[in-house]
Amino acid sequence: MRTYFLRRLFVLLGSLFVIVTVNFVLFRLMPGSPVDTVISPDFTPEMKALLMERYGLNEPYYIQYGLYLKNLISLNFGRSFQTRLPVWDELLSRLPNTLLLLGSSFLIMVVTGVALGIFVASRRGSRWDTVLTGSAVFFGAMPGFFIALLLLLVFGYYIDVFPVHGTMSAPPPTGFWPRVYDRLLHLVLPVASIVVSGVGSWMMYTRNHLVTTLAADFIRTAQAKGLSKRRVLYGHALRSSLPPLVTLFFLSLPNIITGAVVIESIFSIQGIGRYLLQATLRQDYPAIEGAFFFIAVAVLLCNLLADFVYRLVDPRIEVR
Amino acid sequence: MPDQPLAGQKVPWRHWTNVSPFSRGRWFWRAFFRSWQGAVGLGIIAVFAVLAVGAPLLTPYHPLHDYDLATTMARPAWMRYFPEYRNSPVTQDVALWQEAEVDGDGWIFGQSIAGGESLTFIRAVHDRGGGEPVRLVLQREVQYDHAPPHTFVFTLPYAFQGDPGVVGWARLELETARGQLFELWTSAPLREDVPLRVQRIDSRDRALAVRLGFNFFDNLASQLLAEPGIYTIRLVLELEGVSEDRSGTFFVGEGRLRIPGDLHGPLGVDHVGSDLWSQWLYGARTSLWVGFVTAFTAVVIGTCIGVISGYQGGWVDELLMRIADVMLSIPVLPVMIVVAATIGKHMGNVIILLALFSWMGTARVVRAATLALREQTFVEAARAAGGTPFYIVWKHILPHTLGLVLASLVLLVPGAIIAEATLSFLGLGDPQMPTWGRMLHNARSFGAFAELAWWWILPPGLSITLLSIALLWVGNTVDDIFNQRLRKAAGERKDTRWLSYGSSS
Repeated sequence: MRTYFLRRLFVLLGSLFVIVTVNFVLFRLMPGSPVDTVISPDFTPEMKALLMERYGLNEPYYIQYGLYLKNLISLNFGRSFQTRLPVWDELLSRLPNTLLLLGSSFLIMVVTGVALGIFVASRRGSRWDTVLTGSAVFFGAMPGFFIALLLLLVFGYYIDVFPVHGTMSAPPPTGFWPRVYDRLLHLVLPVASIVVSGVGSWMMYTRNHLVTTLAADFIRTAQAKGLSKRRVLYGHALRSSLPPLVTLFFLSLPNIITGAVVIESIFSIQGIGRYLLQATLRQDYPAIEGAFFFIAVAVLLCNLLADFVYRLVDPRIEVR
Repeated sequence: MPDQPLAGQKVPWRHWTNVSPFSRGRWFWRAFFRSWQGAVGLGIIAVFAVLAVGAPLLTPYHPLHDYDLATTMARPAWMRYFPEYRNSPVTQDVALWQEAEVDGDGWIFGQSIAGGESLTFIRAVHDRGGGEPVRLVLQREVQYDHAPPHTFVFTLPYAFQGDPGVVGWARLELETARGQLFELWTSAPLREDVPLRVQRIDSRDRALAVRLGFNFFDNLASQLLAEPGIYTIRLVLELEGVSEDRSGTFFVGEGRLRIPGDLHGPLGVDHVGSDLWSQWLYGARTSLWVGFVTAFTAVVIGTCIGVISGYQGGWVDELLMRIADVMLSIPVLPVMIVVAATIGKHMGNVIILLALFSWMGTARVVRAATLALREQTFVEAARAAGGTPFYIVWKHILPHTLGLVLASLVLLVPGAIIAEATLSFLGLGDPQMPTWGRMLHNARSFGAFAELAWWWILPPGLSITLLSIALLWVGNTVDDIFNQRLRKAAGERKDTRWLSYGSSS
């Protein structure tokens, strides 16, 4: 048990260290001194020297690293070049959009995926099985951004039914319910993109797990007891497949989070991912650092969560 | 390489799951082609590979440097079979002098090379005396069957070399289908040495339109090529002042007439008039190259770490495996975005980063295989015989993990291809490389969607998908042949394996 936690701690701290260091090193590998990239070139040399002094840029690197860590811990990512606002505030203001997008699509994806998995597993070898498994492989091999582009082309341009960018019409409709409706309408295509690209793996995972379970002895016992097919499937087979599914839930979060960068940029949703990308295209360095750190830490937390939930839902799992 | 994995036992080959693919070549291929997925997958990969390798032969255009080849966003040429586009002009690219009629006496023809370029030159020399001006006419008839074009461009490479006192002129004439004669261009008097230059005659040149008697605002191209028919193009070369001991030489390169159309090539052109078919072909090249180089690098790293970890054990194993865990928990795409923003958009960076972030799976399975192999009697025998760890690993362990490594190599390729495509799609790819992701980026940024230009959007995306599926099929087939037992030893479940290759990014 102790080794297990030590290991987890090592991995967590190691990942944090790598992420922080990547941030620290990369921005110092850039050509020119930090002052040149971070501060307007119009400043006089004396002013620059003053700034270098003030921000500790003349200190040796290990002291700079310490300063950097201190700022990260106090969530001080500096101010965006573009908007002159603190990066942290900007990230927080964009968080709701990302959370709404990821939350809704993840929920739909998991529910549909598991449902489809159960459906297919109970009809193993049927035509449904062939078709759905085949499409799962097809959409699984398709890049996420291309699925989004296809949906965009078909439902946004060929048949112009869904809005193709943003989170709300301009100007927004009046009244509460029309606004909600408008917001949801804007969510349809991005959510559908994430769902289509991820639902296949959920379906296959559920299916394969159920198929293995359905061949187990205790299922035969249940059948022999004369339980209904339904009861066997949901009460016995699905139940024993739940722990791995819960684990998969948390394990697949990181993929979804990084996938948001792409989806948000395609559909122009003002979320964290698009913030990172736009900062990159505009060379807005404080914003890049902040957004990267934010996303990376979110991913690490999900991994950590997955580890603990894994042990929580299935106490049988031996700690290696 | 050992023929038998388990010393002294005779077992049917099918059960030799951990034998190297290279010592059992024939059986390997027989088992491989027994699976339709393996066979079809390999076929698809082969087709892509042939197209990628043969790209320079299959298209005359450079995917990035050739632009203005047709009207911006011209549709594919095969659309002329649809009634809507029957009359749309198709891009014409005519090599003028290859089939030209030559009219003129006493000229000598030859080949020469100039400017380091392997241009074919027709050399025209006149050395008979008389003092009279002498001329040579290169005449080419061009059939034009479409609606009037928007523009046309002549390119005429030429050079001149003459003795003192000899003057040359070059002139380009166009005779329209109606029989009107237009003098499109006349050179300045050519004296002594005139180095190679390429004369461009562009229909958008306003001064030319005015000189030919058209209105300043007239579209010269649609005025000159107003109706279908046979157009005659003549290059007239004249020499004055030649005699017994004074001669002049024209060097004439292959002239071209390009009429950019509204329909162009197999896939049309993009927003700057670059050929999309070339971009697709060269994109296949980039994708395969990036995919395999990345996968190879990752597999080399993974195999080394896996073998060291498994054979050495102890704290080395612990440390290496925790490093693998750390790498697994860091998201690749954001790191690649940040690297592109700071260090630069270079394909080398992409490959190195992707390799650094994808060796972990290989390391884990190789480690598990090494752990299992280490306990085998033949390894023990080698150890007893005094083999050094390096020798034992090289001779007895690595050969047995080759099947495993081969499978994970193939299975790593699609992930790398998709990751690179995603980065390029986000506009963070190498600007010097033609890629499928970049095609889609341009399609998204420059109006392909509003134009419903599906011939621009679908080919790159579907190609990535098809190639990925083919690679997964081949990888899974190889994996099934060799690695069932070792996979089981590694504790990896086959049904979850593909999750790590699909869906993400």
